[in-house]
Amino acid sequence: MRQFRNMIYPYAAWTAVMIVLPMLMILLYAFTKAGNDVTTFRFTLENFARFFQDAVFLDVLKRSLVIAVVTTIVCVLLGYPIAYVIASGPEKSRVFWILMITLPTWINMLVRTYAWVGILQDDGLLNRIFALFGLGPFHMMYTTFAVVLGMVYNFIPFMILQIHTSLAKMDKSLLEAASDLGANRVQSFLRVTLPLSLPGVLSGITLVFLPAVSSFFIPKLLGGGQYVLIGNVIETQFLTSGDWNFGSAISLIMAVIIMVSMYLTRKVDTDPAANGRRE
Amino acid sequence: MEKKLIQFKNIVKEFDGKLVLKGINLDIYENEFVTLLGPSGCGKTTLLRILGGFLTQNEGQVLFDGEEISTVPPYKREINTVFQKYALFPHMNVYNNIAFGLKIKKEPKDVIEQKVKRMLKLVNLEEYAERAVTEMSGGQQQRVAIARALVNEPSVLLLDEPLGALDLKLRQEMQHELKKIQQEVGITFIYVTHDQEEALTMSDKIVVMKDGEIQQIGTPTDIYNEPVNEFVANFIGESNIIEGVMLEDYKVVFEGRRFVCVDQGFGKNEIVDVVIRPEDLDIVPRGEGKLKGVVKSVLFKGVHYETMVETKVGTEITVKMQVSDDRPVFNEAANEKMSANDFYLDVEDVEELDDATIIARADAQAWNPDEDEFISIKEVSYTIEKQNGTYPVTFSTAAGTSVTVNMIVKDENRVTSTENEEEIFAVNFFKKADEIQESIALETDLKTWANASAWSLEDGTAVDISDVKYTFDPEHITPGVYDVTFATKGYEYKVDTTDKYEVGDEVGLMFQPEDIHIMAKTQ
Repeated sequence: MRQFRNMIYPYAAWTAVMIVLPMLMILLYAFTKAGNDVTTFRFTLENFARFFQDAVFLDVLKRSLVIAVVTTIVCVLLGYPIAYVIASGPEKSRVFWILMITLPTWINMLVRTYAWVGILQDDGLLNRIFALFGLGPFHMMYTTFAVVLGMVYNFIPFMILQIHTSLAKMDKSLLEAASDLGANRVQSFLRVTLPLSLPGVLSGITLVFLPAVSSFFIPKLLGGGQYVLIGNVIETQFLTSGDWNFGSAISLIMAVIIMVSMYLTRKVDTDPAANGRRE
Repeated sequence: MEKKLIQFKNIVKEFDGKLVLKGINLDIYENEFVTLLGPSGCGKTTLLRILGGFLTQNEGQVLFDGEEISTVPPYKREINTVFQKYALFPHMNVYNNIAFGLKIKKEPKDVIEQKVKRMLKLVNLEEYAERAVTEMSGGQQQRVAIARALVNEPSVLLLDEPLGALDLKLRQEMQHELKKIQQEVGITFIYVTHDQEEALTMSDKIVVMKDGEIQQIGTPTDIYNEPVNEFVANFIGESNIIEGVMLEDYKVVFEGRRFVCVDQGFGKNEIVDVVIRPEDLDIVPRGEGKLKGVVKSVLFKGVHYETMVETKVGTEITVKMQVSDDRPVFNEAANEKMSANDFYLDVEDVEELDDATIIARADAQAWNPDEDEFISIKEVSYTIEKQNGTYPVTFSTAAGTSVTVNMIVKDENRVTSTENEEEIFAVNFFKKADEIQESIALETDLKTWANASAWSLEDGTAVDISDVKYTFDPEHITPGVYDVTFATKGYEYKVDTTDKYEVGDEVGLMFQPEDIHIMAKTQ
């Protein structure tokens, strides 16, 4: 192993330049006023105060969290049965379905989201199909429905893969044991399969919630200009208003929220008391 | 013991067109400790899983208490299983694992607590109720699995190789404990194992299985003392099996001598297998034994020595090995080395000769000395006639390196021993000194070089050449001619002795009429 030690340096350098440095920059920008130069920094908490004092921003934050939570819940409810069905199939069909689920992610997310615009528009694919049955047209674009749909569509593969992994690695003899001890299929599922797949569900939740809460182009494309989420606000600060300091501060707030939620998820995941407790 | 609890009637099971169970008929009585014993792949676990409800047979019936249960799902059967790898629920502690079945049945909390506590006591795990099962040792997990099954008060407990993962000492401890538990709770245990010692120790009844068929059903003593065929005799303990002829009731001939035995009911002059267990044989002074022999090997086995006594030598052949110190040919231009040996051929081999055989017999090789990589031999050119003589053969590579050696056709070099109904064959051969020095498995190489083989004259089957004898020192061999002797195994008896004998001792073997067990010959 020793001779490979030196190979870590390029990686460390890369990490420092590409990950650590930008993070430090965000930290620096968040706590300073506009108009810094390299020698003088004017530290301030103004950026944070501005965010928390403005009802509009708080509203956007709330809406972002709600959308992310709804997306995550839909992903769990839809993804679990899909993962379950895939995992209970034979090896060959499992490989096939997992490929089918990962296949769309090989195409750029932006392109796939644009495709939904075509499907959901007032004269789009869905409404034309409805029209054949004399229904509609329904207005779907630029609604919460469209945004949640876009997010679920984009992020559900992460949920399915995580749950599938935890289900597939579960020892099948445990189900035989449960059945042997008198549990029917529903009881076996509730008492054995479900608790044993929870770690997969939790990491799935993390993987869906994180991108959902900070996504900006899905609400932009499917929610239209009026449907603003926190990701859009950050984007606007950097690209349109040019207020990098305020943008950095909002990013930092989001980072803290995400860190806290990850910490809580992990705590549930690894809590040893959950193992040993008598019901 | 009198009531039939489980009846298997002509159970047939196939997986992917392969018959795993070929019509099993078996009755299991109440409160019996029954062991299904057999090598892996004999179908014993399949039979157990059919009874547990995890598999359905293709044909036949399973009766439980007189009722057909084939369509009853596992969770409705009054049967519990201890699984091979325990299958404990990793997300529950010991208490919850054991209470699982009772909770499913929605028994009152205080009843559950009482029953679980009793089970923990039965399996000696009272202190471990709150422990996570993942933190327990194999032996402890094993006990939890047993308690988890027994707490449901099944009328039958199925155990699928439950001690397989434990070390020897723990396994022996658990054997006693399992037997004790079975006697205490007084229910039927059906135990699957491939370990004959486990089966003999614990069972009331042993069912020996092979290739999806039952070979023998009986008590441990029955099975041990009166195995019905060679397979059972070999599988249950060690045994010496000799071919013999049953002259009439109580009289058997083997090794050309008549012996009195206690077996009867075989046909007149029927060819049979004679079984004598190693512990039933005694070594006595040469004159006093019923058989005479020479000690071939001695192995220390702890409580006894396992002494092999050969009563009749095998068939032998001696060939000449001509050792030269020729160096390989070196083609500097192509950076190739090449070597080959002269070799002998039988006249009758000439017809079937092809390039591959010639390369193999001459041991022709070409290689790159720097990279130590083999180079293929592109051309083998020769002319040969079907009569005695010496014929040159030239091997060459694509780069033009070549070696010429002689194929020497001469008469057969073969001995036959009619006494043992065996024939052994080998030819004289040429070898280079450095090849002998570099050989990593010299005996095998000598067999290959001499083309040695042996077979039975009765049915033509191959006979193992177990002995290769030579007097030279392979590390420091010099050019010259050496004798190499190949021999098959003679009649050997395994004898358990408390005294240590030396290899080469001339001894006699003693046994009593009741030590001889006669079995019908299996084909």
